Amino acid sequence: MRTDTVIIGGGLSGLTCGIALAKRGQRVTIVASGQSTLLFNGGSMELLGNIDGIAVTTPLEAIGTLPQSHPYSKIGADKIAGLADEAKQLLADAGIDMEGNASANHWRITPMGVAKPAWLTLKENLRIDDLDKLPAKRVALMCIRGYFDQPNGMLAQGLRELGFDVKAIEFTTDDITSLRRSPSEMRATTLAKRLISNSALQRIADQINNLSDDAELVLLPSVFGQTDATDFQTLQSMVKKPLRFVATLPPSVAGGRIQALLRHYFKMLGGNYLMGDSAVSGQFDGDKLLGVTTAKLGDMPLKANNFVLASGSFISRGLVANYERVFEPVFDLDVDADGEREQWTRFGVLEPQAYSRYGVATDNDLRCMKDGKPIQNLRAIGSVLSGHDAVKMGDGTGVSMLTALAVTKGIISGK
Amino acid sequence: MVTNEIYKKEYDVIIIGGGATGAGTARDCALRGLSVLLVERDDYSTGATGRNHGLMHSGARYAVTDGESAAECIKENMILRRIARHCVEETDGLFITLPEDDLAYQQTFVEACGRAGIRAEVIAPDEARAIEPSVNPDLIGAVRIPDAAIDPFRLTVANLLDARINGAETLNHHEVEGLIVNQGRAEGVKLHNKLNGEHVEVRGKVVVNAAGIWGQRIAKMAGVNISMFPARGALLIFGHRVNRMVINRCRKPANADILVPDDTVCVIGTTSDRIPIETVDDMRVTREEVDVLLKEGIKLAPSLATTRVIRAYAGVRPLVASDDDPSGRSISRGIVCLDHAKRDGLEGFITITGGKMMTYRLMGEIATNAVCAKLGNSKPCITATLPLPGSEDDAPSQSDATKRYSFGERAAIGRHGSLAARIEKDNDIDNALVCECEGVTVGEIKYAVHQLHVQNLVNLRRRTRVGMGTCQGKLCSCRAASLLGEFNHDVKRAQKDLATFLDERWKGMRPVAWGDTLREAQLTAAIYEGLCGLDQAVSTQRKEDEQ
Amino acid sequence: MAERMQLCNISDNNFEQCTKCSICTTVCPVAAVTTDYPGPKQAGPDGERYRLKDHAYYDKALKLCLNCKRCEVACPSGVNIADIIQHARMKAGEGQRASLRDTMLANTDLLGMVANLVAPVANATLGLAPTKLVMDSVMAIDKHRTFPAYSRTKFTTWFKRHAAKEQDAYPNHVSYFHGCYVNYNFPKLGQDLVKLMNAVGYGVHLLDKEQCCGVALIANGLYKQAKRQARTNADSIRKSVKDDHLTVLTTSSSCTFNLRDEYPSLLGVDTSDVRDGIMIATRFIYNLVDEEKIKLIFKQDFKKRMAYHTACHMQRMGWQLYSIELLRRIPGLDLQVLEQECCGISGTYGFKKENYERSQAIGSILFKHIEDAKVEAVITDCETCKWQIEMSTGLPVENPISVLADALDVEATRRANGLQI
Repeated sequence: MRTDTVIIGGGLSGLTCGIALAKRGQRVTIVASGQSTLLFNGGSMELLGNIDGIAVTTPLEAIGTLPQSHPYSKIGADKIAGLADEAKQLLADAGIDMEGNASANHWRITPMGVAKPAWLTLKENLRIDDLDKLPAKRVALMCIRGYFDQPNGMLAQGLRELGFDVKAIEFTTDDITSLRRSPSEMRATTLAKRLISNSALQRIADQINNLSDDAELVLLPSVFGQTDATDFQTLQSMVKKPLRFVATLPPSVAGGRIQALLRHYFKMLGGNYLMGDSAVSGQFDGDKLLGVTTAKLGDMPLKANNFVLASGSFISRGLVANYERVFEPVFDLDVDADGEREQWTRFGVLEPQAYSRYGVATDNDLRCMKDGKPIQNLRAIGSVLSGHDAVKMGDGTGVSMLTALAVTKGIISGK
Repeated sequence: MVTNEIYKKEYDVIIIGGGATGAGTARDCALRGLSVLLVERDDYSTGATGRNHGLMHSGARYAVTDGESAAECIKENMILRRIARHCVEETDGLFITLPEDDLAYQQTFVEACGRAGIRAEVIAPDEARAIEPSVNPDLIGAVRIPDAAIDPFRLTVANLLDARINGAETLNHHEVEGLIVNQGRAEGVKLHNKLNGEHVEVRGKVVVNAAGIWGQRIAKMAGVNISMFPARGALLIFGHRVNRMVINRCRKPANADILVPDDTVCVIGTTSDRIPIETVDDMRVTREEVDVLLKEGIKLAPSLATTRVIRAYAGVRPLVASDDDPSGRSISRGIVCLDHAKRDGLEGFITITGGKMMTYRLMGEIATNAVCAKLGNSKPCITATLPLPGSEDDAPSQSDATKRYSFGERAAIGRHGSLAARIEKDNDIDNALVCECEGVTVGEIKYAVHQLHVQNLVNLRRRTRVGMGTCQGKLCSCRAASLLGEFNHDVKRAQKDLATFLDERWKGMRPVAWGDTLREAQLTAAIYEGLCGLDQAVSTQRKEDEQ
Repeated sequence: MAERMQLCNISDNNFEQCTKCSICTTVCPVAAVTTDYPGPKQAGPDGERYRLKDHAYYDKALKLCLNCKRCEVACPSGVNIADIIQHARMKAGEGQRASLRDTMLANTDLLGMVANLVAPVANATLGLAPTKLVMDSVMAIDKHRTFPAYSRTKFTTWFKRHAAKEQDAYPNHVSYFHGCYVNYNFPKLGQDLVKLMNAVGYGVHLLDKEQCCGVALIANGLYKQAKRQARTNADSIRKSVKDDHLTVLTTSSSCTFNLRDEYPSLLGVDTSDVRDGIMIATRFIYNLVDEEKIKLIFKQDFKKRMAYHTACHMQRMGWQLYSIELLRRIPGLDLQVLEQECCGISGTYGFKKENYERSQAIGSILFKHIEDAKVEAVITDCETCKWQIEMSTGLPVENPISVLADALDVEATRRANGLQI
């Protein structure tokens, strides 16, 4: 099967790239080995959140100080602002309404009530532009009885430390109580699937209206809106006070929705999305990749003019570590990683871990290196790239989207 | 009783050390009617008790080299099957001979087992392969012996529970800072309450030093010298049970020659290295230890080469030098009970050490006999026949399984035996799973917090297996921390505790952080740091604490 | 030995690769509609570690699994979650007898054979209200269900009478595993395949001996019988692929998945040597078209708006791509590709009274999507999805092969492929 471009990996970077290419008229196939790490995203994108443990307020400026090995530096610090606008527009086109801008970070509120720097946040999620000017003082934190994937105590504590006057209010409805019967499936995503009817939402709104007293802002765990933001709008229309969601422990409803909307948009643009398949090997002619064999298509490889590796880090198995080494499993590309096992990790769990910066080696056009030479038509994007640290620098989603858009330009221009 | 009341009382006996030996001694003393206080500097079974194979030796391992220990083992083995049924899984074991081993040793081994009273049945290699499919198929000989698996955490807790039922007081997170010695007589202990920082003194007529390898330090506080020879052993935990039976090598004991199926996992070990006494608190496992364990482990069960390793840990055996040979060349592996009145002229102070987790009950009996002799108590020991709490009756049958999904209930019965009846399970919230890998419900956590002396997540893990599954506490640790924060009305502490718990989990994962274990670590970091910002929350708190 | 140490992680059905990320639970259609089912993660990899300790940890709630495999498709770690659950069920079912109802539902070929003989009576009887009530109360087959109509003439009978003779004359050849549905209920699909293949120069041949693939037997716990039939089919397929060098085509996604993947993984009947020789017909045809070995020419006047539904097992195989891409080549077809959702029937699952409501609740998302798509018909590669969607939406449902055959300009195609008309 031949298309213009084959993308290995169907997460944020792969879908961004696929959409951008399909919009420019390319036929694109995405091979996605399962659902992506977006399911662990609380509904925010980060461009650059921290450098050496210090929060970044103006990411565009800070990006200029990054070393040359960072993917942003490879793209070119001067191009980031433009690509960031493009990314925001792409999300909006897919039906994902996010607020924020690249010139100044805002703060997203984590499930533990910590304020972390962010670039874009879903409209319905709580976000704070200026920690000295909170959007409200008195907050009703609505806690669903028997829902354990939101650490309510820690969240309330964190919000108080930010200066909110928090009242944590436990509530339930008949719908929620009946869901509690399952000992294992009281998850954000299950609630979002079940709490969709207007009557179920009304019962929740009634509880909020009855219990939230003098609060100026009502906070709810983000367990609504599996497919779009209409459940939020419906709830907001029923609740008499401003309402915002707070991210929960995964699997995340917001992240799942972002993934589903992007995928839907990509398919609408004519793209092929091979869910649950995975690339296993490639056929090369010198420094050119001819085709990719997948586990399920078997003896009918995917052929294309260009290939993009968007296979993610260790979690997504874009990188693999075994007893002996760190490697890239599909093509055995060159990786930037330490050789000795002891160097991969550090002793404290919260210390920066070396492995989180590992990734495939690329040239400045993000072409993948194999045996020291770039593969002309294979580019890498997103978490599989080396030189950044999504956990400690808060640059994961930004790198995913921006590198995807950057290589799209390279592919289209034929460079 | 509230802690302050506990401090005020004067006890017949104060026991230092909350391992199996201390717990067993406390139970025995309490059953003989003594007033008892047990103090533990960390959590119960934190030391060597919680850092071994979880193997209930038949004694066969020692049969050739130390017949006396072997006989002790098999006797205690049979007792534990009766009194600690809910902590024991009757797996049986194999001693296999590989082509590189001397098959003639099998004969020596079987004869020695016979002398020690251990049932040892030579079986054909084919039969061994049939009853234990994971065993190295190249084996040339096999002997079946009555080894079993035992859960040392549960065993210790059951002993403490029974001690408390019989009037004993127990305090964890209380470190002994010194002994109160008056005119050649030990009269109590100076304690540091590590939960609130308080320093107190508690008085007792007899002090029993059951502090394992740390016993040398305790003895020194009393001005008494004991020469301990710490022998460190490292072990690896695999993600699931590959074997049904314990697998040993039929040769002289050596590195990594026992593979034990423990609950949902299996454990290979141990290495054995003499280490300086100053380093006994450093439990980090080295790369060399991991390499040796894997290299030797796959000789027992080849599939270990491709089975996920989820954790590495190490423990220190408290070996004691014989008094007549302080050089340490002749070391006793047997039970050592020192009456310091006779040995050192210090009245009211007894050290019970050496031995094995297997013989904890016997050690308790011996120590209690020594205590009773001093106090003029002549009640007989009944610990060999009286079942531990949880093992008295048949385990409760679970509620009608056709009606609702009951994994948590069954797992709890497996863990707590008949005591599982005390776990609330009649409403949906109590029934909710917190740890999905190990089937731990909200009700079980409540029970553990309220009845099993749980102050933090690590304690909770030892009582319930929260966070002991392959993910090592990915989502459950946050859920459990929230619950602890709620029960203890201290959210900040719960959050710090969560970070400490993740750190403790990582300590074991790091030496084996490759493959899926590394993936797991990255996902945990993505959730707790990337998504939740726990690192930021904790560092802010730590800064505040410093100020 | 040391060289191979810890280079990869191998476990049964990859259960140990699970990182407990819980993504599978977000796609499970059963957990989405009932609190009685613990979800794929609990039922699969979580429970498995305990079942390895003691199989008494098996829980009857696992019977609620549809075996739709959506969890496996979603899993980022390659864990065969549904297979873990199926294995646990098989182990729990050892030595237990299936009920009369389950036996009847499972034996699709036996039921078909009897029904064929008395087709008019059977169709009338199985559709009658009193019969349905009896089935509902005595057999626990839900009264809302209509058994698919039985054909008066079996496909194989038609083939022998009307098609077999001419097949040798074609330049190229394939085998056809028609399955029970084509044989007893819907011979037209088989006829469509013969028409289509013949038009592009391929003669179609039946296997030496074909039995029901056994997918329903497995689902209903009749493993021994399933294994027997699997061996017979595997032998016939092996003869076709290895001796006669003929690829075996199919027109049912569930049969295909069963033959290729469930035979070895669930029944222990190894088909790995011929696995690549078994494929759904659209894949075979797509490849020929893609490599420009054949040409398809479609009627100018064919104009339809239809929606493609990816059957769960089709998605598990990853082959919906071929059906979709082929259908996209029909100029007059306005094809709407639906988001993958489970229809809820899962073979015989939805026929059982105890599952009916759940089955319909699961399907409701799909039915809504179909309604929103405003189409005149639905296309899918699975016959049980067809029954479910037809019953629940009132729209006709067709196999891609039938749509292709309907849209095909047979004469022009034969000519384009160098055949005489």
